[in-house]
Amino acid sequence: MSILEIDALEKSYGRVRALDGVSFNVSAGEIFGFVGSNGAGKTTTMRIILGVLRGDGGQVRWDGAPVDLQVRRRIGYMPEERGLYPRMKVGEQLVYLAQLHGLSEADAVAAMEHWTDVLGVAERRGDEVDKLSLGNQQRVQLAAALVHDPDILVLDEPFSGLDPVAVAVMSEVLRGQAAKGVPVIFSSHQLELVEKLCDRVGIVKAGRLVALGTIDELRSTDRQQWTVTLADGDLAGEWPGVSVTAQGERRWLVEAPSRDAAQAVLASALSQGTVAEFTPVRPSLTDLFQDVVSDTEEGAHA
Amino acid sequence: MMWLIAKREFRTRTMSKANLISSGIMLVVVIGGALIAKPFLDGESEATVLEVDTATAAPLIPYLDSAAAAQDFDLEVVEVDAGEEPAPSEGAAGVLVGPAEQPQLYLGDGNDALVSVVHGAAQAAVLDERISDLGGDPAGVGDALAAATPDVTVVGDTNDFDGQTFFAGVVVVIVLFFVLIQSASVIMMGVVEEKSSRVVEVLLATVRPATLLGGKVLGVGMYSLVQAATMFVPLVGAAWYLGFMDTLDVPAGLLVTNFAVWFVLGFAVFTILFGGLAALVSRQEDIGSITTPMMFLMMVPLYLAIYLVPNNPDGTATVVLTQVPFFAPFLVPMRAAFGTITTGETVLAIVICLVTIPVLTWIAGRVYAGAVLNTGGRMKLTEAFKRG
Repeated sequence: MSILEIDALEKSYGRVRALDGVSFNVSAGEIFGFVGSNGAGKTTTMRIILGVLRGDGGQVRWDGAPVDLQVRRRIGYMPEERGLYPRMKVGEQLVYLAQLHGLSEADAVAAMEHWTDVLGVAERRGDEVDKLSLGNQQRVQLAAALVHDPDILVLDEPFSGLDPVAVAVMSEVLRGQAAKGVPVIFSSHQLELVEKLCDRVGIVKAGRLVALGTIDELRSTDRQQWTVTLADGDLAGEWPGVSVTAQGERRWLVEAPSRDAAQAVLASALSQGTVAEFTPVRPSLTDLFQDVVSDTEEGAHA
Repeated sequence: MMWLIAKREFRTRTMSKANLISSGIMLVVVIGGALIAKPFLDGESEATVLEVDTATAAPLIPYLDSAAAAQDFDLEVVEVDAGEEPAPSEGAAGVLVGPAEQPQLYLGDGNDALVSVVHGAAQAAVLDERISDLGGDPAGVGDALAAATPDVTVVGDTNDFDGQTFFAGVVVVIVLFFVLIQSASVIMMGVVEEKSSRVVEVLLATVRPATLLGGKVLGVGMYSLVQAATMFVPLVGAAWYLGFMDTLDVPAGLLVTNFAVWFVLGFAVFTILFGGLAALVSRQEDIGSITTPMMFLMMVPLYLAIYLVPNNPDGTATVVLTQVPFFAPFLVPMRAAFGTITTGETVLAIVICLVTIPVLTWIAGRVYAGAVLNTGGRMKLTEAFKRG
């Protein structure tokens, strides 16, 4: 199975270290979410994957071989700073870009027609890009990334500035591409969207990848937390290794080292009253992101 | 790939409304101007009509024709009956009556050239008559006279200022200058446009920077060539239509060849370099910081070609500068117009240019690659080169 390997990328701008050994893999059919605060190094990583920027160290491999121009031409790329010829017609522009990626003219025209249809900008083919609304320009930009039927997709902030309908269309397209076996990497600040779409997530902070894994992996911390809510009665007792971290009215937040320890808490709760709710607390990606980012900040300051 | 880029560049530039309109206006002005000017110019060059009294002056007609031919005078002879009071009729310049020994010319207005032709014809007629009377052969004498023309060779300082050659040379280098400066500007604007619209990042993901720059240079080159052609073909056509071409006494073929060769070489040298440098700026407003040095780099050679070459066509400075790539496109055609450049020098200048082009391409490509993704202010040349 094809796999895109990003291996120990390094990049400095003068004294600023933009990337400090970023490594991750994306396999065929996987949607990889790339998350991080502004200036963390997401765009730099993507630019290096595309060869638009030369890294100081590290390597990008596809199927085990370093990515060269031939492979890059098969990547669909949507840069963070949107770029299209403002005075060129949508249709002509997409055909031109497809041809630059090696498609024949007939194939390029067919692909242009297909993607403008799918993305809902078919009736704007004859208009100059300049004349389109920002949202529609964004759709054309995505069409530009897809028009040559790429083997790999690298999208920098594909969802920024889209209305909910467009977000749905775009999500559907990404899922469809992944289902075809295309590895998809995209960056976003819309974390709920990342959570919903991505198979795996990488959180980047100050040029380093500080968290990497599936959403579930990232959520499962060493000390799992549980909420216990009782309809009546009270929860009291001592359980080995378990601590109560917060308490409200008939509501307790307990931290347990293992599932068994948590079960012990549940058993004593059942004996003491009516249990209305007993759930593991799954931190959202937003919580994780904030944790990870602030953690490393503290770490860096220490 | 490069061809695809060149084709787009060519199409968008050629098909732009501004270009179509300005080319159209240019065509209309040149063709219309020629059509309007033609009758006036023809009116001036119409043959002068001289009426000749059949009864008295008919024998002079062949002499009039040959005298007019010898003096390069466009004469049309019409035989008339002059009558008692000779006067030129409508449309005729004069009336000639009387025998060769005593010709009388009645003119509508003073026409020295016509008088001179009639004078020559009368003298020739009288001379022939006397030679025949003396038993000689008038035709032989005529040939002998015609042969007795001095064969002029100027020795000594041959560098006398030749106005027409100078003019032709200046026209060639100035036209070259404008075509080159226009192409360089177009390519610089193109580079900055791609950079400011950020489309360059999409392009660079699939195309090497050198290919992108090369395609642009090629496309703009074709565009400039077509534009120069749409300007010059009608102009030359109009000049030919109006009969200007016959009066030009310059080595036109040599000048055109020189123009073609140095258009291509100068184009490559200047546009590649400035295409690369244009990547240093991010906005159209900042392009001035690149155009100013470009103007200098092109105007200095132009002025040298116009002022140095005519005064000192084979001095040391001229000979040395001829071999410098940025100077050659202007100096070589100018020296060629003056005929003071040896074939060896021309070939050497072309070879040096051809060798410089790959070097320039490498430097410009590197600067371009290093600077083209940089946004914000103007980038330092050395920094761009290092990054590229």
